[in-house]
Amino acid sequence: MSSLWLWVALGLYSLGLAHALLTVGLRQPAWFRTALAAIGVGFLFHFVSLVEQGLTAGHLPVTNIAEATSLFAFLITLGFLLVYWFYRVTSLSVFAFPIVFVMTLAAALSERPRPEVAPILRANWVPIHVSFSLVGYAALILACLAGVMYLMQERELKRRQPRAFYYRLPPLDTVDRLGARVLAIGFPFITIGILTGVVGAAGAWGPDWVRDPKVTLSLSLWLIYMLLILARVSAGWRGHKAALLAIFGMVMALVSWSANYLSTHHTFLGH
Amino acid sequence: MQLSLIGLSHRTAPIEVRERLHFPEKEIPAALHALAERREVHEAVIFSTCNRVEVLTRLEDGVEALPLVSNFLAETRRVERSAFESLLYQHSQRAAIRHVFRVAASLDSMVVGEPQVLGQVKAAYATARAVGTVGSLLEAVLTRAFSVAKKARSETGIGTAAVSVSYAAVELARKIFGSLEDKKVFLIGAGEMSELAAEHLLRNGAQAIFVANRTYARAQELAARWQGHAIRYDDLLQHVGQADIVISSTGSPVYILRKQHAQGFLAKRRNRPMFFIDIAVPRDIDPEVNSLDNVFLYDIDDLEQVIAANLRERQREAVRAEELVEREVDRLLARLKTLELTPTIVALQGRLHSLREQELKRAGLDSLTPAQRQAVEEMTRSLVNKILHLPLTQLKRLPQEPDGLKMVEFIRRTFQLKD
Repeated sequence: MSSLWLWVALGLYSLGLAHALLTVGLRQPAWFRTALAAIGVGFLFHFVSLVEQGLTAGHLPVTNIAEATSLFAFLITLGFLLVYWFYRVTSLSVFAFPIVFVMTLAAALSERPRPEVAPILRANWVPIHVSFSLVGYAALILACLAGVMYLMQERELKRRQPRAFYYRLPPLDTVDRLGARVLAIGFPFITIGILTGVVGAAGAWGPDWVRDPKVTLSLSLWLIYMLLILARVSAGWRGHKAALLAIFGMVMALVSWSANYLSTHHTFLGH
Repeated sequence: MQLSLIGLSHRTAPIEVRERLHFPEKEIPAALHALAERREVHEAVIFSTCNRVEVLTRLEDGVEALPLVSNFLAETRRVERSAFESLLYQHSQRAAIRHVFRVAASLDSMVVGEPQVLGQVKAAYATARAVGTVGSLLEAVLTRAFSVAKKARSETGIGTAAVSVSYAAVELARKIFGSLEDKKVFLIGAGEMSELAAEHLLRNGAQAIFVANRTYARAQELAARWQGHAIRYDDLLQHVGQADIVISSTGSPVYILRKQHAQGFLAKRRNRPMFFIDIAVPRDIDPEVNSLDNVFLYDIDDLEQVIAANLRERQREAVRAEELVEREVDRLLARLKTLELTPTIVALQGRLHSLREQELKRAGLDSLTPAQRQAVEEMTRSLVNKILHLPLTQLKRLPQEPDGLKMVEFIRRTFQLKD
């Protein structure tokens, strides 16, 4: 049963969730070290489960929604660990751990015996398309969380009456640069992800690929992504505006993701 | 063991009483000698600062601590007992340890988390140790208190939030910029508070400083002090935009920096954030400036508000530190049990005598006559007692010695003694 390791990872991630809930409830960091260790070990088990799934399938396990969600949660955890490694931003855990937990839970619950993979999903470009897009999405989630932290801390500083957030959240400049950095890393990934998708779709679906809502939404997501980076570089959009834009980008990504349910072509079942 | 702490502090006694009981540093060794001369006093430390006078002692079991210590205070400080006796607090055993931990961890200070008190406790300990009035118990309690204080500082936020205007400014700057490395500071006007803030910023990594003043000579003087640049007051607006942190404290009756100025700075700086600190009354900077993105403006009232919030934050963190103290008191008490020597003595005797009996059995003395057997038994028993005599005498003296606890623990480990 390939999902065993995933459940183990989920159990460890639940400590991260407990940390987040306690920290919010008590208004002070609780169990951070324990939770970090649990997340780290859970991450390893998660990796094992992905490898196992991949070996069973004979390719990158991204051909159904459960597998993709699992990989996505894995990438967010990876992103969190990297951010923690470089920036020591502990407060990100409060946001990231619950997301990771919920996604892993969804992945573990929706896992089913492997159905016959639709022929279109056996194409070579599919694993690249899915995994690169997911890295791009994960970066966007982290940028969005950094944006939320920025807005919260900015509010504290503008109100000039510090409350709990002021003490717990990282400095403005740190989260601002963090957001910029993850977007810069995520952009090439989402670009390749969307490009392979477009090229692959054009080849597989024929000429009406342009009219699919998923394609339109993905392209607008890519435009926002590019805007996020360009606005910072050329127009000096930073701080407040950049944070808002990152959050908007995240909303767009959610819409784009949910288009999987609208699209006639882009479903994990494959038509 | 009878541990006792008696004293008074800013919580119980007014300054008039505290100053009369205060021990000048130089007189403490003599006072410790006088205290230790009393037969009932085994160990003693005197802790005297402007906020408190406390006497920590290990006394003979059954001795009343309060009359002894208040007599001692009355005699050495030449104050009649009635003037302070009602203000004294008395803690013994567990409560005394907790009090020492709380004082060292700055939980009992006027400003919770202030860092000086730990140094003062350490100095009091060093003095008593030099005089020779620190034995095993006070050594264990005080050295533990130091590490508890350090732990409380590192594991809780009791000492982190700034409680002075100039440090609050530094802390805010950190919350905005993260690191202060390569940040530039602009000082407009002079004054004690703004100079102090500038100094703190520089000491915390800020790079360059610009100074503008209505009297150019004064600006040059200040700039020279910090190896900064003096700016002519009339050129102020051309240069302020280069700085990340602007501290203003001029006597100007009108705003010298307005929103449109700040907008101009930001455009040139490509929106890199700016932090304005307006210490002047009447204010120098239009409050509207704060409404701009990437600009943060604090006037003197705002800074005071931040300090008030910081003090509340320290109080919240103090609750966590109190829990830590409570845990540490339990741990130390468990360890101090070792200092009650009777169990160790009994166990040590038991260990050697049981060895003796084992060896007697192994020797197989059945072939000896009863008289011979008794002689061998007598001989071995007295041998064991002779061997034990010196270590036991030594052991009984250990509580008087600073490293006594460690020595008792060492003996227990060497002979693998368990309760």
